[in-house]
Amino acid sequence: MTLASIVIPSAHLGHWLWVFYVIPVLIVVGGIIRSTRAEKKREREEGRSEAPKRGPKERR
Amino acid sequence: MNLLVHLPEAHALVAKQDLPIPAWLFAWAASIVLVVSFFALSAAWRKPQFEEERWRPSAAWLTTVLRSWPTQVLCGGLAVLLLGVGIYSGIHGTEAPDRNYAITFFFVTAWIGFPFVSALFGNVFPAFNPWRAIARVAGGAYRLAAGRGMRHLAYPERLGRWPAAVGLLGFVWLEVVYGSSGGVAVGLEPHAAGVAACVYTGYTLAMMALFGREQWCARGEIFSVYFGMFSQLAPFGVKDGRIGRRRPLAAATHWATSVRGSTAVVIASIATTSFDGAEDGAYKPALEHVEKWFTEAGIGPLATIRIADTIFMAGTVAGVAIVYLLGVKGMQSVPGAPPFKQLVRGFAHSLIPIALAYLIAHYFSLFVYQEQAQFTYLLSDPLGTSTTNLFGTAEYGIDFSALSPNVIWYVQVAALLAGHVAGLTLAHDKALVYWRDYRRASRSQYWMLAVMVAFTCFGLYLLSVNAS
Repeated sequence: MTLASIVIPSAHLGHWLWVFYVIPVLIVVGGIIRSTRAEKKREREEGRSEAPKRGPKERR
Repeated sequence: MNLLVHLPEAHALVAKQDLPIPAWLFAWAASIVLVVSFFALSAAWRKPQFEEERWRPSAAWLTTVLRSWPTQVLCGGLAVLLLGVGIYSGIHGTEAPDRNYAITFFFVTAWIGFPFVSALFGNVFPAFNPWRAIARVAGGAYRLAAGRGMRHLAYPERLGRWPAAVGLLGFVWLEVVYGSSGGVAVGLEPHAAGVAACVYTGYTLAMMALFGREQWCARGEIFSVYFGMFSQLAPFGVKDGRIGRRRPLAAATHWATSVRGSTAVVIASIATTSFDGAEDGAYKPALEHVEKWFTEAGIGPLATIRIADTIFMAGTVAGVAIVYLLGVKGMQSVPGAPPFKQLVRGFAHSLIPIALAYLIAHYFSLFVYQEQAQFTYLLSDPLGTSTTNLFGTAEYGIDFSALSPNVIWYVQVAALLAGHVAGLTLAHDKALVYWRDYRRASRSQYWMLAVMVAFTCFGLYLLSVNAS
């Protein structure tokens, strides 16, 4: 293997630099979706656990 | 002229930086700062703070001096004189944009200078608005001749600030797209700038005659609305004719809520600045592709550039609007949210600090460099024909070593970060008004956090591409 054949073709790497700027946005959006789902799930579970405790009038 | 750095085509005049870490790591660090700020606000900011301006009137003599007739005549007269010099030098001066007073005066000194000054000292533009000054004199003359004031049509409130938003896009289109000749800070031909200033003067005076001077300045006059928007961030203002101090940022909270088109003004501001920064950097490869298609379709080279630029500018406006509207849509999913339209207007003011941050980040270096030209050779030789030397400074030049590339970069990063943290704070404060319960308010602001992180990273990406 010659030296030339193992040189990384880095000339076009600059075109992909935007990926590094998108990563934080994706992490934040991912975190938001995850926490929103978790909160909705918790609210549903709280609603279910409160429902049997209520009397028939309250449920209506 | 001390040319220590090369002059790229973009507005931010910067040389290659020598940063201790890669530029993209600044975006990561800025995102972390925003996330930390968000949690700090959620934990410690549980009651709205900006709904009350905490107005404190200044000493009476200050208002008397600053709002006196001699001061107003002096400021208005100076503005009319400078506009006249701009129009005259644009039409009769050299066609080299960087040697003609008109281009730097219109597109740098006024266009960039007034937002900076307004954000610091409040709404100073009405005193320096040349069209308002002309209209006041004309209105006074009419009153004298007719014995009564001029009657005006009622301004259609459904239009709100839309005329200003559309005008803002038109103004930037003229500068960035129509005048995209490259190689200098602003590529528009001075003659075109002079003619455009004449046309705008006629249009503004006609609209002022139609709807009333102050009404048109509040709703339709591009520069009054645009500079007035930034003045909402300032710790100084005028209330009931008296100058005073207020809590910084507080005046912005009600700027967009009651007037239609306000959201469009602030979105247009962010988008046009972004496009100006991206045109010769991040968008360049894509623009070249699109231009190639139009060229192959047989369209002329200048028209090709203008059509492609117009498409990308419109795309940027749409992109910024979509990101903001997605953030608002996300907020609406939180129980107890007000209607979508109310949210769109209600949170638009949180974008004003971002618009200012983008403006500083993109034009700070241009402003520092071009103002050296403005106050030396352009004032002494406004026509740029080397025939006059009014103040003996016609031989001066721009010292490009005044700012190092690293200083420019750090100012840009600091401006973007401060602007987005301020935006996040304003949005959080408004959420507390709408949701009352601070837990739900914080939850609604997850989405504004995403908007702020997206705008920060986008802004830093545009700047890093221009600097590399």
